[in-house]
Order: sequence, then structure tokens, then C-alpha cells
Amino acid sequence: MAQPEGIIRWQTLSGEPITVGDVTITPQSQALIIRLPFGGLVWNRPVAVLVEHGGQTRRMPIIDITRVVQLGLLGLNLAFAIFLVLSTRRKTKRGVK
Amino acid sequence: MNGISEKFNHIAITTVKGQEQSMALMEKLLATAQPSAVYSAPVTSGDYTIITASEVSAGIGFGYGLGGGVGPKSSEGETTSEAEAQETQEQPSGFGGGGGGGGAAMARPVAVISVGPEGVQIQPIVDASKIALAFFTTLGGMVIMLSRMRRASRG
Repeated sequence: MAQPEGIIRWQTLSGEPITVGDVTITPQSQALIIRLPFGGLVWNRPVAVLVEHGGQTRRMPIIDITRVVQLGLLGLNLAFAIFLVLSTRRKTKRGVK
Repeated sequence: MNGISEKFNHIAITTVKGQEQSMALMEKLLATAQPSAVYSAPVTSGDYTIITASEVSAGIGFGYGLGGGVGPKSSEGETTSEAEAQETQEQPSGFGGGGGGGGAAMARPVAVISVGPEGVQIQPIVDASKIALAFFTTLGGMVIMLSRMRRASRG
């Protein structure tokens, strides 16, 4: 197995191709590796599969809907917070004038 | 002094063994960074073959401690027995070492890849409980922020 070069490494790897009938699927994953002298962390997620059929290869992305919705809600919360701060500053400035 | 060095050597060897075990554990952890940890083996049922894709995360932490020291020689008057008197001809010493560690791993299914007569299809797996939790946390955060801002503008 290849050793990570640095403390933090972000890599995309392709797995062993799986052949089902006349279709060959190559899974791809993306991993974040943090290696420290006193431990480590690995986060690995599927990104896409390469589908080879009839001599043609197409990439089918794997979308993590749960993560997309979670990040969307987080973004909404941040946008709401920024909007509130800006609107309060405007009101304060108007009040001072 | 031979006794001291023997004790120290024993502790050092034990610590090195512990470190080697931790490194072996790190290698196992790094194995989860491979695509084989994320994609399951294909399962065939009838015309359909299914492969599950999961998000995998794992972490470990460990630590060691090693220490010791040599005390002052005790005087003859402080000894209580002959055996103890013989022992105190050498300087009293103490060495100790220890280690500990912990870890966690988590896997969550993200999608199902199915290969059938219709071709290859990717069906996402939605974790409704996680989404609901995130939604209510967001809603709660917004309500708290709004109420604080209102209070601040009134004050």
C-alpha cells in the first residue's frame, strides 16, 4: 500500500473494475487522509462510477443528497445570519442620522 | 545499576512494541482510504446486480508515556530488615511507562448502483432523520438569531 506523503492528503482513486454481463463498472472514491504522529483520520466517499458499455465510457456521478441538503441548510443559516447583521447595521445607521 | 538498566530496557521494549502495534493499526486505518472500503461486493439477484456505495470515516488516536528516576541512597538507620538493607546498597529507582488509545469508525450508505436490463442506474439513499435534524437545527438557529437581533435593536 502506498504511504501518504504528507500530513494531509486528498486523493481520488479508482477501484477494481467490476464486470456484469457486457457492462464494466469502475468505482471511484475520494479520500481525505490526515496522518499525525499520535493518530490519524480517514474520510472516504464515493464520487462516481465509470460505466463502459459497447466501447463507450461514461462517468456517472454519485450525489450524496443527504450531504447536499445538510450543506444547503447550513448555507441558508449563514446567509440568514449575514442578512440579519447587515439589516441591523442599516437600521442603526439610520437611527444615528 | 544493572537492575535499573534492565528495568528501563524492559519498559522501553514494551513501549516500542506498543508503538509498532499502533503503526500497524494506522496501516489498517489507511486501508479504509481505498475504494474497496467504500463500494461493496456486487450482489446478484435474478437479472439485477447491486453494489452499495457508502461514505466511510475512521479515526484513531494514541499516546505513550515513559518516565523514571533515581532516588537518594537511604541511610543505615532507616532500614528495618536485613533484606531491605541489602537492597538499599543500590540507589532506589523507579521507572514506569504506559499508553492508551481510542478510535471510532462510521459508515453511511449514500447510493445503490444497480445493473439490470435497463442499464446502469444510481439510486441515492436519503437519510430522512439526518435531514430533519439539520432542518430543525437551522430553524432553531434562525429563531434564536432573530430574537436576539430584535432584543438588541430595542435595547
